[in-house]
Amino acid sequence: MESKALKPILAVYVAAFILFLYGPFIVLGILSFQQGPEGGPQFPIIDWSTYWYRHLFGLTPPSRIAPLPVGEALLRSLTLAFMTMVTATVLGVMAAQAFRRRFRGAGIVFYLIVLGMMVPGVLTGLGTSLLANNVVGVERHWWTTAFVAHVVYTFPFAFLVMLAILNRFDGSVEEAAWSLGVSPARTFRKVTFPLIFPGVLSAMLFAFTLSFDEFPRTLFASGRDQTLPLAIYGTFSVEIHPNIFAFGVMTTLFSFSLLAVYGILMGLSVRRAKKIAMQEDIA
Amino acid sequence: MSIAAPSTQRNTFTGWLLAPGVFWMILFLVAPIMMIVYVSFWTQTTFAINSTLTLDSWKNFFSSEAYVGALWTTLRLWLIVLALTFIIGYPAALFVGLLVKSKTVSTILLVLCVIPFWTSFLIRVLAWRPMLGKEGAINIILQKLGLIDSPIEVLLFSELSVIIGMTQIYVVFMVGPIAFMLGRIDRNIIEAARDLGAGFGRIFWKIIFPLSLPGVVVGAIFVSVMVLGEFATSGALSGRKVNLLGNIIVTQVGSLKWAMASVVGVILTILLGIVVAGFLRIVDLKSEL
Repeated sequence: MESKALKPILAVYVAAFILFLYGPFIVLGILSFQQGPEGGPQFPIIDWSTYWYRHLFGLTPPSRIAPLPVGEALLRSLTLAFMTMVTATVLGVMAAQAFRRRFRGAGIVFYLIVLGMMVPGVLTGLGTSLLANNVVGVERHWWTTAFVAHVVYTFPFAFLVMLAILNRFDGSVEEAAWSLGVSPARTFRKVTFPLIFPGVLSAMLFAFTLSFDEFPRTLFASGRDQTLPLAIYGTFSVEIHPNIFAFGVMTTLFSFSLLAVYGILMGLSVRRAKKIAMQEDIA
Repeated sequence: MSIAAPSTQRNTFTGWLLAPGVFWMILFLVAPIMMIVYVSFWTQTTFAINSTLTLDSWKNFFSSEAYVGALWTTLRLWLIVLALTFIIGYPAALFVGLLVKSKTVSTILLVLCVIPFWTSFLIRVLAWRPMLGKEGAINIILQKLGLIDSPIEVLLFSELSVIIGMTQIYVVFMVGPIAFMLGRIDRNIIEAARDLGAGFGRIFWKIIFPLSLPGVVVGAIFVSVMVLGEFATSGALSGRKVNLLGNIIVTQVGSLKWAMASVVGVILTILLGIVVAGFLRIVDLKSEL
């Protein structure tokens, strides 16, 4: 039968497909161990070394290759990502909470929010800069114009994640709390929030990582002080060295540690939910 | 269940929950886009713009071969990358979403596809350079295998390298939605068709593909929106040979030609509107999701 032969063929295809996705990254990882400072960002590997990693942290003797200007940029990017994460998640939770009831104009509001992730960064970046320059008259900074543009981009993701979570949410537990005379604010804190916490965590993860890596909006809207992606972009126009590859490996490891934190928090919240459920069973 | 009395109270509550988000989007998304449209009619002087309305920038755009050329390049690359992400992505999605029986394996494969996104976008783009260059990995491998005598130079700093780079970066956005739709297909329908004697080809074209179409449309919208607004990949991998509309916007802003940048921005917005509306006509997403 045809489909019998199809499955192994497609399995091989998917393996090749995944190799295609990972290929450049593998090459990048290999080249980050290029010998320095003479070794360039290409094959062959002259000699294996950790020179470029030490170079990143300023542990090598000065050479003609300037260290990546990442220190302050990294700090800015982390701050910006944190600000964005908090704002986008709060907005996302609120909006999704509102969507649990049917209301007039829900369709328009839904599309208005989702538009934020659909409009390309060049356009929001350009528009925000124009507005800041010519109408509001504020200077562009990473913590003003770039920040609002980042929230426009990440808020829809937080909103959609929360919407998906709240769709599966059983509202009767809240009603039980209300009917027992618990105030809405307290109900939200004690009942709703612990239940939607995994969703909140995912929304935060989305917002943080998207903002941390955001490039086109920031390019237009951030003004003088660079964020991390802008600092990397700055090295594009000049000659590239393997230190940028070493840096790529480092940022990926950083992302994985973030993912690990997310995984641990998620595991804890699931376990706690199970424990509560078990206590209820016993009671 | 609804109680009449607190209904208005609840309505205002919903309003308060929505207000911050809605205001944020109107102020920082809708207003900026309106602003782009408005500024595209402003008068450009050497280093500044003023709000005297004129059609000059629009005339300049359509009388410049370079600008109109960028429009065609954008359209051409968009179509090519869209087609490639679909052709390369669909079989992968078919395997992940439908053919893999175990939910765990399917999830693991999807996670594997997403992991590269945890590396900085710009560094992922940059990683294609040592891959495609004259002394790059692909040329070395092909030469070692004896398939070619001299390195292929057209691989890097050409339209081809931009196409390869974009396809690799965006193909996952095609795979995800399609695999999701395929995963929702009721296996009994396929069983039934098979029992009635339909071959795989027939089952695919009559059942699987039509049911996966909403996923294709969502994927196509994602890919289109991202490719049409691109400028970093084309900038980094073409050696400035390939100019997309996005690249024009960046260079115009760089030389403080805000009015021209806005004209290009409006054209890009219109293009996106047409493309997305076109895709949404193929399937009614609201009824599907």
